Amino acid sequence: MVGKRLNAAVLFCTALLLSVASWGQDDAACFDCHADEDDSPVHTVYKTKHGSLGGGGVAACTACHGPSEAHNRRGRRNPPDISFGPRWPSDVETRNGSCLNCHENNAQLLWMGSAHQEESLSCDACHNSHQKTDLAMAEESAQEQCLTCHTQVRAQVHLPSRHPIAEGKTACVDCHNPHGGLGDTALHQVSLNDNCFSCHQEKRGPFLWEHAPVAEDCALCHRPHGSVNDRLLTARGPALCQQCHAAAFHPSVPYGSEGLPGGTANRNLLGKNCLNCHSQIHGSNHPSGARLTR
Amino acid sequence: MNNRNRTPFTMTAASALVLAATTALAQEADTQAEEPGEYKPLALEHRPPPIRLQGDYAGAIELGLAYTSDDNYMFGQYNGLQEDEVTIIGNLQWQDFSRGESYWQASMTDLGLDTREGQVTWGKPDRLRVSLGFDSQQQVRNNSGRTPFRGGDNQLLPDNWVSGSTTSDWTVLDESLRQFDRELDRDRFFLEASAKLSDRWRMETSLSYEEKEGNGDTGGAIYTDASAGDAVLLRSPVDYRTTEFDIGLAYSGQRLHLDGHLAYSDFDNKDDLLSWQNPYSSFGPRVRYPEGVGGLGLAPDNDQVSGRLTGHYIFSSDARLQFDGSYAVASQDQNYLDYSVNQALLVTEPLPASDFDGEVATSTFNTKLLLRPLAKLNAQLFYKIRDRDYDADRNGYRYIRGDGSDQPGQALTVYNTNHDFRSQTTGAELSYRLPLRSKLSFEYAYEKVERKNAAVEETQEDRYTLAYRIQPWSNFSARMSLLYGDRAADDYEWAQSYYALLDSELINATPENQRYINHPELSQYYLSNRERWEGKVDLSYLPAERWNLNLNLLWRDDDFDESNLGLTESEWGRAHFSVSYTASDTLSGSVYTGYDRFEGDQTSRAFRGGQEKNAFATYPPLPQASDPQQDWDINTTDSSFTVGTNLLWQPVEALELSLDYSYVDTTSEQDYSTRPGGSVSASDLPDVDTTLHHFEASGTWHLREALSLRLHYQYYDFDSNDWAWNNVQADTIGKVLTFGQDNPNEEIHYVGASVIYRWQ
Repeated sequence: MVGKRLNAAVLFCTALLLSVASWGQDDAACFDCHADEDDSPVHTVYKTKHGSLGGGGVAACTACHGPSEAHNRRGRRNPPDISFGPRWPSDVETRNGSCLNCHENNAQLLWMGSAHQEESLSCDACHNSHQKTDLAMAEESAQEQCLTCHTQVRAQVHLPSRHPIAEGKTACVDCHNPHGGLGDTALHQVSLNDNCFSCHQEKRGPFLWEHAPVAEDCALCHRPHGSVNDRLLTARGPALCQQCHAAAFHPSVPYGSEGLPGGTANRNLLGKNCLNCHSQIHGSNHPSGARLTR
Repeated sequence: MNNRNRTPFTMTAASALVLAATTALAQEADTQAEEPGEYKPLALEHRPPPIRLQGDYAGAIELGLAYTSDDNYMFGQYNGLQEDEVTIIGNLQWQDFSRGESYWQASMTDLGLDTREGQVTWGKPDRLRVSLGFDSQQQVRNNSGRTPFRGGDNQLLPDNWVSGSTTSDWTVLDESLRQFDRELDRDRFFLEASAKLSDRWRMETSLSYEEKEGNGDTGGAIYTDASAGDAVLLRSPVDYRTTEFDIGLAYSGQRLHLDGHLAYSDFDNKDDLLSWQNPYSSFGPRVRYPEGVGGLGLAPDNDQVSGRLTGHYIFSSDARLQFDGSYAVASQDQNYLDYSVNQALLVTEPLPASDFDGEVATSTFNTKLLLRPLAKLNAQLFYKIRDRDYDADRNGYRYIRGDGSDQPGQALTVYNTNHDFRSQTTGAELSYRLPLRSKLSFEYAYEKVERKNAAVEETQEDRYTLAYRIQPWSNFSARMSLLYGDRAADDYEWAQSYYALLDSELINATPENQRYINHPELSQYYLSNRERWEGKVDLSYLPAERWNLNLNLLWRDDDFDESNLGLTESEWGRAHFSVSYTASDTLSGSVYTGYDRFEGDQTSRAFRGGQEKNAFATYPPLPQASDPQQDWDINTTDSSFTVGTNLLWQPVEALELSLDYSYVDTTSEQDYSTRPGGSVSASDLPDVDTTLHHFEASGTWHLREALSLRLHYQYYDFDSNDWAWNNVQADTIGKVLTFGQDNPNEEIHYVGASVIYRWQ
């Protein structure tokens, strides 16, 4: 009887000690192998926002990588439950799921079905949560990240007329949400015009005399990334205006090289062409501005 | 709603139900489905590895000096380096997460320039974040121009001005011209905060204030009719203030996620009117120099209140609904200016109202239902609506033409019109995964646009897109898509704007065959029938482990087949090719080249007013508006060719080098073609060419782990020959006083040297 009790007590104490020991090991479990060395990116996470997840320490590791019990037991053979590579990268959906556990709100709300999600992009393709400075969050380096894939835009941002994208003063993400949107080209605002008006409020109106296409779609006349023509225009004036205007007298007349200096120096061709007079092209609130000249 | 209108919406709703049901039934089967091989986007392989020191330090401060070799306005258009001067390089990055409970982040860039920006953030991880910051931007435009006008929003000529009816008569013009800076400065200050209220609720708010000041440019004319205008280009003062406030609340449930925002934006323009003294002497004494004056209305103050709700609902792992809706009301009630700034002009009938007092409500709602009814089949059903609804009185305005004469008679009254607009799009996309990591997609979209007070009240478009993506080998992927769109427009009501704008007295006095503004055979392209074809190809190939090749092609053709005049066809072609090589973590380089070409064909018919404006005559002698011999055609082509290369090299641990070069060559052509027997002709305009060479080299020498020296050099060479300004002096055009500005021709060297100190 005493022997049984003793056995039971020994068993209980052993179990208790083991559980305490294994609980105590929790902290050491990741760091036993992932030592804080100069070239180890693992510990850098503690100098970022993600380092305090779950209260910090090992909890910050498991918050993103999962409990990873198998990895904990035999780390060289078994991957963590969720690995971002390079050795054992989990599939994209698993990796993204780890991020979306916390970030499936705000800008990431519409990630599912977005162009980048459809292209199987993983969050860690752009973001590095272990780096003190996440290059995707810094304006200039974020730009570089976008342009390495969207090479056609890289050419547009160097055109003579452009937004200050190459200078980093307008970031790609100022207009586009890389995590998706339900409007065209994943714009932040619900429409292209709303996106433009968010910086160009003076064109928001409403005006007494509106130029109807302006209120409908800025892209009818402007190319937002960059253009060969001044003011991001889709074509040069006066031909651009004549795409839609063929009224009696001067709007219906062709303006060729006869109108250059040395010829007739035509007022509808040179300088700001049509806008020499019709300057209020985005709309006018002047009672005499019906022809957008006031 | 007619049958054609109703069918796509009905079909979408029915499809949604069928697919939702299929999805529900397929839940169990999905778990057993075989997972295909994973597609991997190869374009990411382009990216050079991040340089260690970019992201591994808690703080870094960079201080130095830079020199720009010459005044300029293209190189320094946006970067604050527009003057020949020595500037300070000042950048700071700092963050401290060591406290655990709270953190700090601070960044300041371009401290020595007018483009400086900075932000300080304090927060508690995942609970609270407060940021305070500023962002200064600058835009410099061609400032080689000069003007004889003095003053801000009331611009006057010098006392010794000698007037004349054309610019060449102004004998003191040259000595009166003064240079001015065409620069806009934009300073924005903001405060942002976000807080986690509970596991499910989060709120965020922001307040910003922005000032935009400087000089733009504009044109203005004093005239009595369109054939006799005395125009000037003017410096246009800009003095804007914008205040914006936003507050949002987000909810994250198991299935439902919501993000709602309320926002207010107030735009205040300090200047209402830009007036100028008439330098011409073409008209009567009340209108000519020195008494004559013209006035332009500047952007009116406005404000906007808006609400937005974005969210999704997860029905299951294979079905979710996304939505994003907003409602915004923009109001404007700025007091009207007088009919004319020239108080000597006689006004017999007062304004119909003291202000516009109107508003426009914009509603949008975009929603998408995402379904996976089968393991390999994804489906999306979507619906979008955008509605712009005006609430403003329609009034008659007996407006004064160009500050050039007394108020005209009742017959010349014009009426403002509202341009209500509603666009609805619905459709579905199905994509099916096939072997070889390929995916075939098909999308159908139907768009209906309704407009009020427009020449076309309704357009309907069907768009079909077939896309295919394949990755047969792990080092090669291809994406292709083909789109066909067919837009049908209601009858083009060419007289609509005539009847909407003008008074019945004038309409009744005009022969019926002349009651139009734009020629009846012109169908404005964005309102008219259109057939669109668009093809895209994107190929990525990794021929060897460290190489990446990418080819991107696009071709789009828009045929406005029902339009006889105006834009009748446009075409866009694009080809971009890039190669990148990442030799090692310390050496990578890439080369890219691209060509874009936009081409448009347009036609018009030259005609005068009066009898010549009769557009419906069929028997000779034909008036001009009816005579096809008066037609003329123009082909416009804009093309750009770009080549760029960059190299990142770390030959030794302590040295980082980067080289970057861009070459951009653009051409804009406008060629006229003459029709056989045509009576109207024009000669081709010269090509407008621009050429840019931009070379950047920088070297960073890490003297110690925490201390680096950085040298930065840029060479910038830009030329252009725009005929709009080439040899156009201030008095070249008889009836337009210009700035006489030069075309940009810049060769700039920039050298910067700085010290970077980092800390852990």
